[in-house]
Amino acid sequence: MAQDQGIERRRFLKLAAGLPIVGGLVAFGSPLLRFLKPNVDPFALITPTTKDAATGEPVVVATMAELVKPWDFKYFVFTQKYPQYTPDGFKTQAVPGVVIRLPAKVRLPWGWLRGSGETPAFAESDIIAFSRICPHLGCIYNFVPEWKEVTSGYGGYVPPPDKRHALMACPCHLSIYDPADPTQPGRVLSGPAPRPPLTFLYKIDGDRILIERVEPGGIA
Amino acid sequence: MASVLASLQEWYRDRRAKLDLFDETMVGQQANPLYLLGPMLYYFLIVTVVSGVILMFWYEPTPAGAYNSILHIQHEVPLGWLIRGIHKYAADGVVICIILRIFRMYFLGEYKKPGELTWIWSFAGLILAMISGITGYLLIWNQRAFWAAKTVLSVPVYFDELTAKIPVIGERFQVGSMIAYLFLGGPAVGAATLTRFYALHFGISIVLLVVAEVFYYRTRRVRLNMSLFPILLFTAMLVLTSYILPAELGRRADPNRTPLPILSDWYFLGLYQYVKYTPPLWAGLGPGLLIGFAMLVPFLDRSKSRRPLDRPFFFVVGVLALVYWLVFTALIMFNIAVIEREPPLVLLGTILVLSLALVWELRHRRRQARAAASAAAPPRRPAGATGHS
Repeated sequence: MAQDQGIERRRFLKLAAGLPIVGGLVAFGSPLLRFLKPNVDPFALITPTTKDAATGEPVVVATMAELVKPWDFKYFVFTQKYPQYTPDGFKTQAVPGVVIRLPAKVRLPWGWLRGSGETPAFAESDIIAFSRICPHLGCIYNFVPEWKEVTSGYGGYVPPPDKRHALMACPCHLSIYDPADPTQPGRVLSGPAPRPPLTFLYKIDGDRILIERVEPGGIA
Repeated sequence: MASVLASLQEWYRDRRAKLDLFDETMVGQQANPLYLLGPMLYYFLIVTVVSGVILMFWYEPTPAGAYNSILHIQHEVPLGWLIRGIHKYAADGVVICIILRIFRMYFLGEYKKPGELTWIWSFAGLILAMISGITGYLLIWNQRAFWAAKTVLSVPVYFDELTAKIPVIGERFQVGSMIAYLFLGGPAVGAATLTRFYALHFGISIVLLVVAEVFYYRTRRVRLNMSLFPILLFTAMLVLTSYILPAELGRRADPNRTPLPILSDWYFLGLYQYVKYTPPLWAGLGPGLLIGFAMLVPFLDRSKSRRPLDRPFFFVVGVLALVYWLVFTALIMFNIAVIEREPPLVLLGTILVLSLALVWELRHRRRQARAAASAAAPPRRPAGATGHS
């Protein structure tokens, strides 16, 4: 009985001495995290990524004269500033994009604007602008005007008869997208991609196509 | 409670005393070249670290300067090509030795008592070697490296899907993105990524070397348990390979264009094909589970015998892992991946093979039990049947 009490006391003392040490180690965690990721607020362990959003400037990427026929397309680059944990504190990084004239009007997938308070001037169009950063793991995918090139170059996928037109395909993991899907533009036809590519918010200013913003998300 | 702790301590002390990371003194067949893998591993590790430190004299870890400094090392610095070739091929040697050694340990049951800790360390070594590999090849700042870094660090972002399921804080508690950003030094591959990878690449090797040194100091084992001949042979091989097949440079990284096709370093090819087949969350979870399974193998496989055919299930799992690795590697080399057709086949095949392996295992155990029973009945039969309950 007496021995038992002795052990109990020792364990209690160990615990009493150990807790502050554990607490100290935990307290050390936050500054260490801040050393590695300086844009986290002190002790903001619950919201570690809030300050990593990128910002971009509107840019004119094409004129309507360049996108006359169906499947005319133009690659462009939308530049954004990303936080970077270097002495500069930021990094300018291009978001490659493609703007396409589709054969028919589609409902533009601008649902991501809902929270921002902005409302686009139109909801349907036959012009659409995708970010070319693959929503799977971030490679740059290509707009492939000829579907047979998709079959020969991207793993052997043969599209069904109604999808035998220009497609978008990623070299890394062979995700294939249909830019002209009437209900979900950019629909994943094949491959591991979990969702269609991100889209750009654009407006048409006279003859020019002005890219305003890119849908947030993913690694650039 | 205290007794459990004590027996765990006892277990650990015993396994630590019999730890066999490089010297292969815990096995009998010293003459078999398969048992040269441990010392070879240590040899290649040392050569890699030393040549790596020499390369650091010239290397410049900035996006603008990295590729140029490698060009400079390769073509202008006297004997730069040799140091770089030796570094690359010795690093490949490390990976080859670890992989072969792990398969040897697996098929010959060397992970069984008292080899559990050795197995766990070896497997951890493989993972660290692969991390060293991927952080190392970004340093060249070529296309292959750039896209490998970007895709690999996009994988953890999908863990946010898991944390999002936590009520209340889940939506904002993006652990996966945070892991990615910590390694990238921001939400994009850039200057910070390069210095972070550089630090990790160097740090992992140095830490491993220090740990190995402490191990040698405490156990008084032989550092390089092989004769002069293989040492000279491997050195000559490294020099010759570097001369005949100079280490590749690839094309300078271009963040706006992903080349088609694009491959990773050879030991990631199988994993790369797997990532094509699977939803992105499983691209991270799958390898994680595989590592977990591998680490637990010594505790899952309770059979006594070390002969591969005496433990059919684990034997088949090992063969399956080897076959998948080789087949996936072959498929990706030919850029074949029809994602509608192949993953269901692979999955069905796996389930079928594993079920058959289970049947084999059960039949084998029953046969062993019967043999043990009949051996016990007539006392004059030789005790050939190993006890198996």
